[in-house]
Amino acid sequence: MRLALYVTCLVDLMRPSVGFAALRLLEEAGCEVIVPEGQTCCGQPAWSAGERGLAADLAKKAIAELEAFDHVVIPSGSCADQVRNIYPQLFADDPDWGPRARSLAGRTYELTSFLVDVLKISAVPGAFEGSVTYHDSCKGLRGLGIKRQPRDLLSRVPGLALKEMGECEECCGFGGAFSVKFGDVSTRIVDRKCESIAAVAADAVVGGDLGCLMNIEGRLRRRGDETTRVLHIAEVLAGGDA
Amino acid sequence: MTAAAKHSQAMHFQARAGEKVRNPVLQRALQKAKPLFVGKRAKGMAALAEDALDVETLRTACEAIRNRTLADLDVWLDIFEERAKATGAEVLWARDGEEVGRLVVEIARRHGVTKATKSKSMLSEEAHLNEALAEAGIRPVETDLGEYIVQLAGEAPSHIIAPAVHKTIEEVEALFAREHGRPIETRTSADIPDMTREAREVLRQHFLTAEMGISGANFLIAETGTAALVTNEGNGRMVTTLPKVHVVVTGIEKIVPTFEDFATLMRMLPRSATGQSISNYVSLLTGTKREGDHDGPEKTVFILVDNGRAGLLGSPYQDMLRCIRCGACMNHCPVYFSLGGHAYGWVYPGPMGSVLTPLYTGIENALDLPHASTGCNQCGSVCPVRIPLPKLMHRLREEQVERGLRPWSERLALKAWAWLAGRPVLYRWMTRRAVRYLNWLADDDGRIRILGMAPGWTAGRDLPMASGRTFNELYKARKRA
Repeated sequence: MRLALYVTCLVDLMRPSVGFAALRLLEEAGCEVIVPEGQTCCGQPAWSAGERGLAADLAKKAIAELEAFDHVVIPSGSCADQVRNIYPQLFADDPDWGPRARSLAGRTYELTSFLVDVLKISAVPGAFEGSVTYHDSCKGLRGLGIKRQPRDLLSRVPGLALKEMGECEECCGFGGAFSVKFGDVSTRIVDRKCESIAAVAADAVVGGDLGCLMNIEGRLRRRGDETTRVLHIAEVLAGGDA
Repeated sequence: MTAAAKHSQAMHFQARAGEKVRNPVLQRALQKAKPLFVGKRAKGMAALAEDALDVETLRTACEAIRNRTLADLDVWLDIFEERAKATGAEVLWARDGEEVGRLVVEIARRHGVTKATKSKSMLSEEAHLNEALAEAGIRPVETDLGEYIVQLAGEAPSHIIAPAVHKTIEEVEALFAREHGRPIETRTSADIPDMTREAREVLRQHFLTAEMGISGANFLIAETGTAALVTNEGNGRMVTTLPKVHVVVTGIEKIVPTFEDFATLMRMLPRSATGQSISNYVSLLTGTKREGDHDGPEKTVFILVDNGRAGLLGSPYQDMLRCIRCGACMNHCPVYFSLGGHAYGWVYPGPMGSVLTPLYTGIENALDLPHASTGCNQCGSVCPVRIPLPKLMHRLREEQVERGLRPWSERLALKAWAWLAGRPVLYRWMTRRAVRYLNWLADDDGRIRILGMAPGWTAGRDLPMASGRTFNELYKARKRA
């Protein structure tokens, strides 16, 4: 199985370790993984801003560079949702790009969903001594129905204890440009997430979307929490030296 | 500018939002309310299983009923008019809020009305009916407890089913003490029944002396010409049966074809709103007082209002007309519960307001609202009639772009970024430099505390930085090694 890893622009810029962790997980599961060189961004920021034309340009670029692979795996529910649910909408009436968008959408997976639903892996390379709590990111949860997959995988990590926080399905307040446009509202929302995290008192908060994690980590630190680790699920599953 | 737009403060959303976030009293009120709303709905929905009913199936059924109605809205309205007239009611049509005011004042004058009691109606807020009545020398008295509180306070409702949710008990206590002329007793939440009794005593006099009752309608049932009123306090019954004149003011989209449709929708409306399997009162009001009836109005008038609704038919926003005003979308909205309803600047707050306000008051008069969403879709997943609220907000964002309503700086930035993202070689060159620069901005612990290009982020949060190398360059280095 030849698959493309689409690391996402945020991971590329802000936390490369997530990309390497995803790579390791897929390779250890026996996949031939290519990281297409030309990848930049799926175009979601343009789409969210209402810039349909720009979003379509970037979607075409992504479709062209990814469609030759059997599968595309993305360590982000948000970007995977863009490819799976938005690309087909963008080209719904396009006789050329429509079928290509739909075909790619059907073969594109968020990382944990790919590991569980397609590869059906039973062991993960990582180990973690301590407790973690999982934040369900909105696009993964409500857009792609990802709920059980990350928990299934976390339960296979030796030493790890999952402690569910209250309101784990509540939005963290990130919302891409929303977090900058309405910074004070976004901060108010993530404050409640931080309170849920504090209440569950886990060693780490784990999620599947770097945007949410940066928001949560940024606020936790500003509030003075220097100890709760904030990790992408790929990092936990792959182990520290990914 | 439309009449509705004149009253809208939606353009001040951003400034108001900042003010609301920093209001500790409001935040306390909101923090208390949210888990109640969410918890009650969840419980109510879970209880459906006891009746062997499934939430998702019911949502689909309700969506279908609303779609079927909207597909032939004109026909159902004609049928309603004909049947309502046959029961002795009068049916009038209003193009906008100002016309509603004119019509109600005319009716009031014809019947020598000096005081009108009101049961909760958001449409009367759209129409600024209380102002129109007051100007004509007719005293409007809100009788829903929450509406009564906001009327006393000289405010607007901040929630479509819980108008005073933004107020703490201490604020209401102080307000009642002032308005009811009693000393402040510093009550606790245990004393809410006591305060409610106090309001009832005041309202009772109004119920008995008002010559006109004004209500909305949760549904209009076409086959019988009936108005259905879903309430919890009983005030709706007083308003609609005691005065000699009853005026129903409601939107043209509130129609449902049959009683059976109504019954299906009633499975979802109270559950979505308050988690109740059924509200304390469901009133079905058909026609005027008949011979032998003990009570009921001698005159019933329906005022069916457009105020922008017909314009949504056949538009990309038609789905919004399915709305049955349960409030579940705002009850599950992280943005709403950070701000309360007043920040939204017009009648309807939360996700449904972020769609309706621009549509009814002009897209150019509410530019922030469609962007005031994290896109979490908590609203869309609880909506009892499956309105794709984030999708509609997104469509409004697109329309802002198409009509050149976005700031040029934002558009230019996005264009430049998209142009760059379309050129991988240049993109990699630029991003490598960008992350080095960001890394240089970071303190020794790898965090940026002040970022000039995104002050909205760093005002409340640090920006955690990694190594100052992109994945792309690290991956290449690894492959070479």
